Amino acid sequence: MRLIRELVQYREMIASFVRKDLKGRYKGSVLGFLWTFINPLLQLLVYTMVFSVILKSSIENYYMHLFVALVPWIFFASSLTTGSHLILDQKNMIKKIYFPREVLPVAYTTSSFCNMLFSFIIVFAVIATMRLGVSWAALPWLIPVMAIQYILVLGMNFITSSVTVYCRDLEHIMGVLSMAWMYLSPVVYGVQFIPEGWDKFYMYNPMAPIILAYRDILYYKTAPNLGQLGQAFLISLGVLLVGVLVFEKLQKRFAEVL
Amino acid sequence: MAAIEIRDLHKKFRVYADQGNSLKEKMLSKKRRSYEERWVLNGISLEVEKGEAIGLVGKNGCGKSTLLKLMSRILFPESGTVKLNGRVSSLIELGAGFHPDMTGRENIYTNASIFGLTRKEIDERLQEIIDFSELEEFIDNPVRTYSSGMYMRLAFSVAIHVGADILLIDEILAVGDAAFQAKCFERLMEIKAEGTTIVIVSHSMAQLERICDRTVWIEGGKIRMEGAPNEVNPKYLEYMGQRRQLSAAKNAKKEQTDAELSEETPAKWTDICLVNEQGERVEKFATGDTITLQLTYQADTANAEEALIGLALYRADKALCYGTNTQREHLQPIVLKEKGVVRCKFAPMNLVAGTYWFDVALRRMDMFAYDYAAQAVRFAVYDPIDETGVTRLDHTWSFDDTAE
Repeated sequence: MRLIRELVQYREMIASFVRKDLKGRYKGSVLGFLWTFINPLLQLLVYTMVFSVILKSSIENYYMHLFVALVPWIFFASSLTTGSHLILDQKNMIKKIYFPREVLPVAYTTSSFCNMLFSFIIVFAVIATMRLGVSWAALPWLIPVMAIQYILVLGMNFITSSVTVYCRDLEHIMGVLSMAWMYLSPVVYGVQFIPEGWDKFYMYNPMAPIILAYRDILYYKTAPNLGQLGQAFLISLGVLLVGVLVFEKLQKRFAEVL
Repeated sequence: MAAIEIRDLHKKFRVYADQGNSLKEKMLSKKRRSYEERWVLNGISLEVEKGEAIGLVGKNGCGKSTLLKLMSRILFPESGTVKLNGRVSSLIELGAGFHPDMTGRENIYTNASIFGLTRKEIDERLQEIIDFSELEEFIDNPVRTYSSGMYMRLAFSVAIHVGADILLIDEILAVGDAAFQAKCFERLMEIKAEGTTIVIVSHSMAQLERICDRTVWIEGGKIRMEGAPNEVNPKYLEYMGQRRQLSAAKNAKKEQTDAELSEETPAKWTDICLVNEQGERVEKFATGDTITLQLTYQADTANAEEALIGLALYRADKALCYGTNTQREHLQPIVLKEKGVVRCKFAPMNLVAGTYWFDVALRRMDMFAYDYAAQAVRFAVYDPIDETGVTRLDHTWSFDDTAE
């Protein structure tokens, strides 16, 4: 309760951090804000080369199959890698001045979320130019799916950013972890490749149903699997709860340890 | 309801012998993780009423800054509670969160938002903040182009306009030039009059006496004494004076070595101190005591010409209180000896409570300085009666029973 009240009071600080982050992320680079769009496109190019040209995937329109999963994946992966040192980055402020520390993960998650939204502009642009079409009935499902992912990423950011303060290795471990996690999620392949009998365990990874939901909506143009999505929602909520508790406990010594 | 309620506060820090933060360091050398625990606060309880101003004093490392950081919720206590009722603004680290590439105006928004203001609240205060900072013409330039004084002025201006109910201040009144400092001080008095609760950590007794209703003297993480500033401050100064005399005596021994004289500086001060009537060194005394400034020099009589001695007495806020020299007083030029002592007696020394220092110059008659000892001797004066100003003027009162 205290947390929500304080975050509401500090909403301007969150907003100004999000603005600063979106503006400042590519500051000083020639292409600037365009990198928000170029980055996922380049990744898309690499994976498409590997999986449709070299490995000759049988999936139709493989690049689109991949693209609708890659954009949300990048949002999630950024929380594992850069998100883990978001507290360390604000060391000076934390040592010097009071503000609810939760502002930082909330602002960071929100700005990465906005970045994902911008990337989706490209997704829709590609859909339009390639005349792939969308299902207007399925499209509104994007809203709850994005909300669930936001909750999950926020929870992860609470955990990784606060633990990294005490154990700086975590940010390096996160690089490997995020790669492993990607191959454990149906990003570059489809759900049909999961071996029989494994799918029960597979779906405990909340990112699996979330990515499948994005793909159902935008690639298969159908409503997502609600059972799986519901499970992902509960797990994400659990992650957020754990995240808030861990953060609450660890933040008390931030100013001393940093 | 009190503005600040602190109950039985304990705080310790872990002091690592050699802090390794990476996993490898942690795994490879277990013993490196050994740390000492140091208790900084050992049970402090304090209540501050709304609209009250208190000053925290104590020697370095006594825990007063830690207490302030606990109040501002930057640190958390081991045990005990801190309760602050109302919005808190801290002037502990001015300008934390300033972004050098953003303009002054943008930084006002960011900085004020860190204090928990909404956009609307900032809009309302923007002009006031800019006016107070006197940076109108620079406000749309990036902050990196500001001088450090301008930077501090902007930061102070934001911090003081957030409409706080409680203001926590750590040695800030060193912001900008003397005029701006005076303005900050006035503004603090205004804010206090409006009912804001203020907690100040300061080493300037003069500042504390002007603004505070109560002094809390902290020693070894506990409250040693609290009460009206004019009761506590002299006791504190007396205590600090004793400590300083001990260290001064140590230093004096060291300085017995001969000064290095050269052709350019054929004369030098070797010792400058204040002594009382018994001839003992003092760095703290009461208003009205007889005090002698004792100046010891060495000179190379072959090169040194006749000389004069100049004195300047400053208060801690750099106000020049008094200045003179032997020439202006039409004294004979001093013929320097190889080693000599000059004494200047103040009987009585009537400065009122505060911290002061002497600059002492040894000059050739054409004013060329052989040796200029800036802040040669610092001392504190306490005043048994609560006078204000710079110096006590001789006066007598008389009372007639009836008016004619």
